[in-house]
Amino acid sequence: MSKPIFELVDELPTGGITILSLRSLDFVVPGQWQNLVGFNNTIKAVTGETDEALIQQIGERAVQLFNDKSQGYQNALWLYQTVDSASGALGAAAMANKVGQDISFLGFLQNLTPKPEKAQSIDLCVKLVVELVAFCQINGIPGDSIGDFLAALGDYSGESLMRMAALVCFDGLVPLGPDFALKGLSTLNTMSPNDLEHNKTFNGVKSLIPGGDSAGQLSFITSSMDSVKGWMTDFVSSRGVTPEQVVDNLTKFVEISKDKLDYLGAFLDMTCNYYTHTGTQTLARRLIERAVAEI
Amino acid sequence: MPILQRWRNVLLSLGLCGLLLISSGCAAKPPSPYAQVQQESTQRGAPKAVAKTATQGSEFNRFFPKPGNGFERVYTQEKKGFAEAKLKKDGKDMAMLSISDTSSIPAAAQKYAQSTEKIAGFPTVEVGTTQTGVLVGGHYQVKVLSRNPSFDKGDRKEWIAKFDLQGLSKLR
Repeated sequence: MSKPIFELVDELPTGGITILSLRSLDFVVPGQWQNLVGFNNTIKAVTGETDEALIQQIGERAVQLFNDKSQGYQNALWLYQTVDSASGALGAAAMANKVGQDISFLGFLQNLTPKPEKAQSIDLCVKLVVELVAFCQINGIPGDSIGDFLAALGDYSGESLMRMAALVCFDGLVPLGPDFALKGLSTLNTMSPNDLEHNKTFNGVKSLIPGGDSAGQLSFITSSMDSVKGWMTDFVSSRGVTPEQVVDNLTKFVEISKDKLDYLGAFLDMTCNYYTHTGTQTLARRLIERAVAEI
Repeated sequence: MPILQRWRNVLLSLGLCGLLLISSGCAAKPPSPYAQVQQESTQRGAPKAVAKTATQGSEFNRFFPKPGNGFERVYTQEKKGFAEAKLKKDGKDMAMLSISDTSSIPAAAQKYAQSTEKIAGFPTVEVGTTQTGVLVGGHYQVKVLSRNPSFDKGDRKEWIAKFDLQGLSKLR
């Protein structure tokens, strides 16, 4: 049983490294993310309503919807939380190995990417698939055609767009370089289902990934990655974002100096929480949008 | 009243006062205004938020207004008993359009009993400051919800009338 949705939204942090590192990405998606926290706050911001009794009514319906397991909202939350903790644990373990080595500024870049390229590529692809599956758990498959569905995906804004920016930048661009999407895809293409089974991030979320067995899941992940690689590449090129810019900005927001290695370890752990943070915000928004329309 | 019973009452009320004092003194924060609904919707045998018999959201899509005149329509949610689309203009969110099955929340339909106005023959109400709704066929609620100050009550009524309300009223 999950924590109550109103508590999760009330307890979303307003500071800390997750928030700062997301703020550092504002230059990628200017003005898109305001870090809206608090359940009633979110109701007011999403609906534009101010009457307390009405807000209570909307909130109560949202709570009911979240608590009805058949509606998929709890699955979505679980996916966001699990993909964060699974990949975070891997990062922290790899980070521990690096501590003690001499770190120059370029070394910092290297330390941001302690995972082997293969593991990092799988992480990127699994996280992307988690986003797709969570989207469908929350919103269903809107519209009557593939075009409608793609339009729904293309309408990402606010915290959802910020989550994608963080995925592309922190899990793609910085660790894998500008051709991260192709690298991810080629890793998948040369991989066996057995390789996938050994990936911690995948193992965390596999029960909700479509495809049946791991061979089917591998092919689902591959085709998903294939269909969004264009969007990802375009996201980076149309905004002219480089790995250096991302790291530069990050160091402006998060106090990381080259001689403070423990900060880096913490940073790595924390940046991995961006899925849970923005995912909770997305979930709250969608629940509230539905609740206000239904009451 | 026998003396023994009176003493028992005194002791009982003292005990209750003590309990109250202890519990209020220890409570770090007031209970959430959502504590009751949380309890009711998670206890064993709690009623489902969405009725089993509710119409699938995919059945609703074809009754939505067509885009045009500079307005773009993006379907955003399609769940059992509910479908929603966003109305955009020049890249900005203007309004949300929705159809829901009120069999899951009867109170949503009941509020139309007080309606004095009609749109295309269906009872309509205003909810809060951003919403206009109609009740179709006795149990489908169609709403338009403003998401931009320039999209006012008049616009909401106009867009409600653009739904295929007659068609929806025949949906079983």
